[in-house]
Order: sequence, then C-alpha cells, then structure tokens
Amino acid sequence: MALPKEVYKALKDIVGSENISDDPALLDSYRYSLAHTAIHLGPYYDTFTPRGAAVLLPGSTGEVQAIVRLCNEHKIKFKASSTFWSAQGYPSEDDTIQLDMRRMDRILEIDERNMFAVVEPGVIGATLQAEAMKVGLNTHIAGSGCSCSVLAGATSYFGSGPSNLYGGWHYENLLGAEWVMPTGDLFRIGSLGSGCGWFCGEGPGPSMRGIARGFLGAKGAMGVFTKCAIKLFAWPGPESLPVEGTVPAYRVSLPDNFRAYTVAFPSWKAWADAAYLIWDTGIGYLAHRQFNMFGRELKYAMVKILTDPSKTLGDLEELLEDPEVQRVTEASKRDFQIVLAGMTPRDLAWQERAFDEILARTAGWKVEAMNQPDVADWSLLYLLRLGHKNLNLVFGGSYDGCFGLLGTADYGTTHVEESGQLKKEWEEQGAVVQAGGDCTMGPIGGQGGGGTCLWENFTCFDPYERESVEGTRALFDAATKLGLARGWGVGMEKWNAQCRGPDGRTTPKEERDRIHLSAPQPSVFRYQHKIRRAFNPNDLGDAYYETLDDEAD
Amino acid sequence: MNAKKARLAEIVGPDHVIDDPGIGESFTLDRTVRPAKRPSFKVRPKTVEQVREIVLWANETLTPLVPVSSGAPHLRGDTLPSVPEAVIVDLAGMKRILKIDRRNRLALLEPGVTYSQLQPELQKEGLRVIMPLLPRANKSVIASLLEREPPMSPRYQWNLLEPLRSLEIVWGNGDRFYSGSGTFRGEREEDWQQGLVPVQGPGPGQLDFYKFVSAAQGSMGIVTWASVKCEVHPEFRKLFLVPGERLADLIDFTYRLLRFRFGDELFLVNDACLAYILAQDEDKAVSLRNSLPPWTAVVGITGGQVLPREKVQARQQDIQELAQQSGLTLASALRGCHEGELQALLLNASAEPYWKLRYKGGAQEIFFLSTLDRAAGYVATMQAAAGEQQYPISDIGIYVQPVHQGVGCHCEFILPFDRGSQAESVRTEALFRDASHRLFGQKAFFSRPYGIWADMVYGADERTKMVTQKVKDIFDPNHLLNPGKLCF
Ligand SMILES: Cc1cc2nc3c(=O)[nH]c(=O)nc-3n(C[C@H](O)[C@H](O)[C@H](O)COP(=O)(O)OP(=O)(O)OC[C@H]3O[C@@H](n4cnc5c(N)ncnc54)[C@H](O)[C@@H]3O)c2cc1C
Repeated sequence: MALPKEVYKALKDIVGSENISDDPALLDSYRYSLAHTAIHLGPYYDTFTPRGAAVLLPGSTGEVQAIVRLCNEHKIKFKASSTFWSAQGYPSEDDTIQLDMRRMDRILEIDERNMFAVVEPGVIGATLQAEAMKVGLNTHIAGSGCSCSVLAGATSYFGSGPSNLYGGWHYENLLGAEWVMPTGDLFRIGSLGSGCGWFCGEGPGPSMRGIARGFLGAKGAMGVFTKCAIKLFAWPGPESLPVEGTVPAYRVSLPDNFRAYTVAFPSWKAWADAAYLIWDTGIGYLAHRQFNMFGRELKYAMVKILTDPSKTLGDLEELLEDPEVQRVTEASKRDFQIVLAGMTPRDLAWQERAFDEILARTAGWKVEAMNQPDVADWSLLYLLRLGHKNLNLVFGGSYDGCFGLLGTADYGTTHVEESGQLKKEWEEQGAVVQAGGDCTMGPIGGQGGGGTCLWENFTCFDPYERESVEGTRALFDAATKLGLARGWGVGMEKWNAQCRGPDGRTTPKEERDRIHLSAPQPSVFRYQHKIRRAFNPNDLGDAYYETLDDEAD
Repeated sequence: MNAKKARLAEIVGPDHVIDDPGIGESFTLDRTVRPAKRPSFKVRPKTVEQVREIVLWANETLTPLVPVSSGAPHLRGDTLPSVPEAVIVDLAGMKRILKIDRRNRLALLEPGVTYSQLQPELQKEGLRVIMPLLPRANKSVIASLLEREPPMSPRYQWNLLEPLRSLEIVWGNGDRFYSGSGTFRGEREEDWQQGLVPVQGPGPGQLDFYKFVSAAQGSMGIVTWASVKCEVHPEFRKLFLVPGERLADLIDFTYRLLRFRFGDELFLVNDACLAYILAQDEDKAVSLRNSLPPWTAVVGITGGQVLPREKVQARQQDIQELAQQSGLTLASALRGCHEGELQALLLNASAEPYWKLRYKGGAQEIFFLSTLDRAAGYVATMQAAAGEQQYPISDIGIYVQPVHQGVGCHCEFILPFDRGSQAESVRTEALFRDASHRLFGQKAFFSRPYGIWADMVYGADERTKMVTQKVKDIFDPNHLLNPGKLCF
C-alpha cells in the first residue's frame, strides 16, 4: 500500500525531495534476498524482504526526530539501517518506512588523548580506522568487515570480531550515544545527557544504556541511533597501512613490531590450554580462527590461491592434490591466527618469548607455510582491516553460519568435532560445499581480555539453486536438533528465525511465543515486552525486538 | 508480637530479625536535606529464597526495604532510610564464596563477601581480584562493584562495570532473575563441568540487566550472587612512585602509560591523600603531608602466568624511558613513603579506622567522572571554593583514578572534618555543596549520584530521569526498594 499523499508530502518536507522515494524500482533495490546470507535465519529460496512504503535518507538528528514523530502520529512502522549488510536491516512488515542513514556519515571528533571517536551512522570501519591510525589509534572492526557501519554494530546488533581480545568488542567500546527513541524523543545516554561530553555510557545512577542494547542490540526495532562515541585503542604502526599487491593478494608489510602467526595444536585440549595461557598472560593484539572458514580441508589451498594473483578457484582441485598442500593442511587442522603488536621493541620481544613459551607448554607449533612473509603479510592485512569480506561468499555465492558454540574455550573445543562431523555428513549429500565439516571460525577472546570463544561453522552454498538453498536449511534444522539433544541450545543458525519466517515476513506470534517460552529464562522476553510497551507504545518496530506478552503461557 | 515482625521471623528465623536497629553510624553530611528515618527492623537473610520471600512480603504489605551488604561506617547516605518504617535487609551474613575457578578465572560470591575475605582465598588458587583503593575491611565486593567504585587497575576494565559479570537478582517485584550468562544457579558443579560458566556480563538478550542494578543504590533489585572476573595473582610485582610538582606535570606521562596499557595499578594522588593512606594518626598525617611531594603517580607492574620476571623487567625499562621523556623519574621511595610500605597497604583492605576518617574522624567525599585532561581544572576549582569557604586547602585529599582503560577518570576530593565540631561540619557542608555545583557546571559527570547530587544530575537531565523512572516502574513497581533515593 502506498503512503497517503499527505504523509508522503510531510515526509518530503522534512528531508527534501531528493532524499525520499517511493518509486517501486528503487524500493525493490532496498529489499534483501533471503536465499543469501540473511544472518541466521533460513535460507529461503526466491524470497525477498517485503517492499518498503518509502525510502528516506535523513541528514540530521532533527530530521530523524521529525520523521519518527510523524510515524507515531500516523502509526507507520519504520526501520533504520546504516550499511544494510544483512536481512535484519530490512523491514519484515509491509508498509514500513525505510531510513537509509548513509548521509549522516561524519566522524565528528577523534579525541586522541582520551582515545575515543564520535561517529554518525554512515561511518564505516575502514574510514574510522584510517583516520584513527593517523593519530596512533585503531578501532575495533566487527567480523562483518570494514565496510559495515561502526555505529550499527555498536548500538544495534552484535559487534564481535578479531580485535575483541585487545580492542574490546563494540559492546564494551560503546560510550555516550544519541538515540531518537521510538516516540521521537531524544535520549542522550551517559555523560552526554549531563552535558559532560561523550566519554561515558553509564549512568547517572542505574545505567540506562541497558535499554539501548544488551548482549545484542534492538536490530532497528526500537528507534534510531544518530551518533555514538566509540572507544579506540593504541595503534603502534604507521599513519596509514602501506598496502601492496594485486587483487586479491593485497598485503601489508609493517614495521618490526608486528608479527602475524598461524599456530596449530596436537589436540583440542592443547588448543584450549593455549587460549587460556594467552589470556592469562595478557598478550596478543588480534586473535581469530579465521581461515578455517574455508574449511578444514580447503583452507591452505585457498590461501595459496588468494595470495597468488596468477591463481583462480579453478586451481583448487589441482592444489588439493599437491602433497605439500596436503601436509600443511594436515598440520593446521586445529589452528588459529594471532597478531602480536609491540608497543615498544621490548614489549614485542617479551610477547614473542611468552608466546613461544606458551607454544612449548602446549606442544603447539607455528605453521611455517602460513608464516612466510607474503602469506603472513596477507594474513596481517586481512585481520587488521577485515577488508576481504567477499571471501566469505567465494565458493558458492552465499554462506551462513551454524552452531555458534558460545562459551569458554573448553566449551567450544569439547564439541567442535561433533558439530563438524554432523556438517561433514551433510556436505557429502551435496547441497553445501564440501570443505571438511569443520569450517568453524571465530574469536580467541569473545570479549576484551578473552575468556570466551564463539565457534561459527561456516556453510557455503549456491543461493541461485533451490536444491542447495533447501539442503542448507535442512542441514541447519539438523544442527538445531543436535544442539538441543546435546544441551548446547538452539544454534546461531536460528538466531533470527524467531523474527522472520520463510515468507520474509514476521514469524507468526504463536511460533515466536513457543520459541521464547522454551528459552532457559522466558522472563527475559517478558521484560523486553514491558520495555517495548514503555518506550515504543505504538509498536513501530518489528519482531526483531523479541518480546513475550503476559498472555503467552 | 507485632505481625510484621512475626512474619519476618517466620522467613529468616527469630534470631535474624533485629528490632529498632537505629540508623547506624553515618558519616554523611547530607542528612539535613534528607533526614534519615528510623527503620522498624533489620533482617538478616541467608538465602536467595529468604530474600525473595522478604521482597514478596514487602510487596504485600507495602513495606519499604533498604538492602545493605557492607558493614559500617557508611559514608554516602545511600543506606540510610529516607522513609519511615523501612526494613533493612542486611546481606552481610550471606558470606559464602560459592566457587573459585582457576581456569576460567571466575569467583562466584554472595553479597556479604568482603575483599579481605576474598583475596586470601583467591591467592590460594593463584588468583586475585582488582580492588578499589583501600576499601573498608567490611566492604562487600559485590556492593563495591555494583556501585561502580573504580578499581586501581584501569587496564583490565574493558568496560566500566568490569570485573563484574553474571548476577542473580531478586527484582523489586520479587522475580528471581539471572543476568549475563547466568540463566542457571551458577554454583552447581555439573553446570561448570558442562561448560555452563557464568562468564558473561551483558544480557541475556537485548536488554542489559546488570546495568539496571549498577549504581542503583539498591533501588532496583537485590543481588544475591555475582560472578567476578579475576586476574592472575602476580608472582612478581613492583611499585613505583613518580613525583611531580603539579598535577599537570604527571598527566602526559599517565596518558602515555594508558595508551600502551603499561602499568597494572595506576593512579595519581596529592600529598594529603597519600598521607592519609600512609598515616595511622593525625600527627603523622600532618608531618607526612609536609614531606611528601605535592603530587605522586603510583604505578604498579606485575608479572603473572608466563615469564613474569622478564615482563616486569621490560615494563620497568619502558616505563622508565617514558618517564624520562616526560622529564620525570621513577622512584622506589619518596621522603615519607617507601614503595614496599605502600604496596603492602594497597594489596589489602584499609586498616581500622578507615583511612579517610583517620585524620579528623569525619570526611566528606566529592567524586565524579571526567577525562584526565580536565583533572587539573577541577583541582583549581575545588581549591578556589575551599579558599572562599575558609576550608584549609592543604587538608583536601585528591585522588585521580583512570578508568575504562583511560577513556575517563574518577576524580575524588576528600574533605576531612571534625564531626565533633559544629563549625567544621557546617563549613565542610557548605563547601561540599558549593563545590559540587561548581564542578558540575564544569562538566564533572556525577555518574554515581548520592545525596544532593541526584537532584543536581536528574534536574539537569530530564530525559534520563524519565527513562530511569520508567525502568524502575517495571522492576520495582511499588517503589519499595530504597525509596527516596536517586529520582525515585
Ligand atoms: C557475511 C556477514 C558476516 C557477518 N559477520 C558478523 C560478525 O562477525 N560479527 C558481527 O557482530 N556481526 C556480523 N554480521 C552481522 C551484521 O551485519 C553486523 O553486525 C554488522 O556489523 C552491522 O552492519 P550492517 O551493515 O549489517 O548494519 P546495518 O544494516 O546498518 O544494521 C544492522 C542492524 O542495526 C540496525 N540499525 C542500523 N543502523 C541503525 C541506526 N542508526 N539506528 C537504529 N538501528 C540501526 C538495523 O536495522 C539492523 O537491524 C555479519 C553479517 C554478514 C552478512
């Protein structure tokens, strides 16, 4: 249904005619294919998110407030998105107004001494990183990559990535924030509200940052964040990354205070021991099990292709036959990548020695083929900037993750083989890419200083082939079943399935209620319901904000 | 027997209901504005079930409850009832350390566990918890963390609530709830063995429940256990003192350490503050104050799990160079203070009497958050205000504690006064009020708004007040938990 003329006109008056459209062709470019990486729901073949009622590009907080107030007046749903990297940034209800926040793309401030930046929604990780590096600072970049909005990850979704360990994840780094609440009222969170600057997100008194985001954010269903401050951390490297090489083999050679290693271990127990020792010792700048996303059996062959511009995916089969590739592949079964960064030469020397000691204590080894200068420099750039996110999709055009075991290092390592084995069986059936079952990847340190890991098992498939899409979904259902049977709970393959269903629209209430009632603590969703009623009385978001009302029993 | 008392005795046992407990000894000056009201009873629950029953009973009878976990003296007025006929819920008897897990570096504690009780137990397992500066010996670890008291080691604070993690909360509505990765009792061995370890702080879900009970002065819920992240107990440690003539002289150096996260303990104190830390009595405090340098940066270096000596050595050399670049020197001793003596103090809770009270018997604190570059400006404001109120400037203890890995800092002014002297009390109170307002006008963020600060901050930020009140209505709909505090 088109928006009433007078509403459209009122919206146009707010943003200007060049920043609004209800042209169906344009609206269709703001829909998301659920056969693709929809982030933990589906995948659903030939299904798109519903068409919006209009797309608006607001240019200021004031404009956002005016839009949201108008939406309240006319009871029209709205959803903001900053960089649109996954389905949760798109409406799940018909006739929703879509706010594309990309015009608000300024870095308002980098406070060099106090180590934070103030950004608008359209600022992406790469831009903030480039500016921060000029003053010896760096920003955390979520695993979704450097072309994603910093603010979206920090305020509204998750925000975990390879630099959690030293840099802290976005949750931890979010400081003061400016939030246009679902009613259109402006809430300046933390020190900002007291007129004391951006440096603190907590208080005064009980921290109301707690209604803006928890472990996860509100996924665009509870108003619009228009600015936020984000904590930065030391960058002991050059003012800009001296990137070299030819696509896709970009790499960076950095001064001698950086090391990028791939290391591997004789058992999962030893792997976990090493993680605990790294955390206890307090070393490491970035740590991720990264390239295993290509699969236990394919990863080294893929790295050979990606670091050599003369090679293509067509070389993969031949490479897999190469005994040297097979040897390295075998040697790096239980691996991860780690970057050490020395704040001073002594700091690096100490970290190196400590790391060698950790490897000695755990009988781990450096995977030398991965530590050759060209490969190590490629890996270093990959982890530092996360600018290679297209590689998530390289095999079949799409991927999504399953299992997502989240907990201590012991927890994931105990179950990784079993989860990989299930996937391997499904790989053999042909719907998903055959990569060795274990394509688990994730941070060594789910939060600042470590303590947890997250094991997302990448599953690559062809989004344009029904059989592949539906076979992937069947695998994900099997993963959920196994997770429930083993007491791991529902895995990340269903993280958003309670929000959006197979038709691309909001999951029916009965189904949502069933899922929320079976959660370990349903009252979480009951409190979220109360919060939504208090702060979003006209319910102008969607079911990505998960609630359970009093009637559901 | 009074019906209320009878019911409470049924819940906690007759020995644990104390009649007419008085308001307790308080050191706050704020009582003239909100005079404390005598509570009817004090109850001492031992279990979460009892706590929950008390809260449900309070909801039935509309009885105000004031939760308390630490022992006296209470300096900030937050545990003094603001309404009549309240029941004090004294959690100090819930003193069990439910678990210490070396591998995951977590301790699971009840609210009555104090730092002095916890540290030796942790040490046996090779662990320690980062501490605030010289807490009272009877200070509850959980209460301190909930109140966001700054720890001395900013480098471990990836967020401002660290090292607090999962909680068990009985909300004001009587609902028992687990925040973070809690979702389970947390003390069961089977859970830990299955990897269900309460290691997360945030969530669960899209709300951040533990934020609602932080700095809430007990007004949202009663926390009955918490998991706390621990650090490795250092096999090897050193402490350095870096003297400066002016606070500004030490700021650059401190920023450099924060940038690199060098230094474990890291804070700045003026001569008076360091004297109050070191001295056991008034005379000694005065003589020390006169001999110590005007400002000192205190820098601890620790080496733990792997190659501790090498680490400490590398850090020491680096920090020495950074100090030199700032025209400063690392010292092991100053006139009046030796690092060994100070280190021994800092690793423990305060000896009795509490260090802030030693000089004059009473002390008023003014503290807030800001950024380090503003600290010298606040000192100037405070000193100007003290001059105008004829409060002796040299008595003001000043403590500047970087927080959240250096993004901000806690600034604290300690104003000793003789509680027996009406004139001193009046003068100190006048200074306290005047300075609080002036500092707030200078962007001092009173993030933990005790007493008069609550009116100041909520008066200036109507939106936060409204949001906070709505959240209170959800978790404590009858406003029974510590009524009269904050904006409730
Ligand atoms: C291939 C792939 C990999 C991913 N990997 C990771 C990962 O490793 N770690 C991780 O944390 N996430 C990951 N994600 C999820 C997600 O896309 C990210 O969290 C990302 O950082 C956010 O960027 P985005 O472009 O999706 O943001 P957006 O599309 O802008 O938004 C993300 C969510 O926030 C909401 N939102 C955005 N801007 C605003 C605003 N201004 N106000 C209110 N709400 C807003 C949107 O409605 C949406 O729900 C991944 C997604 C994909 C597709």
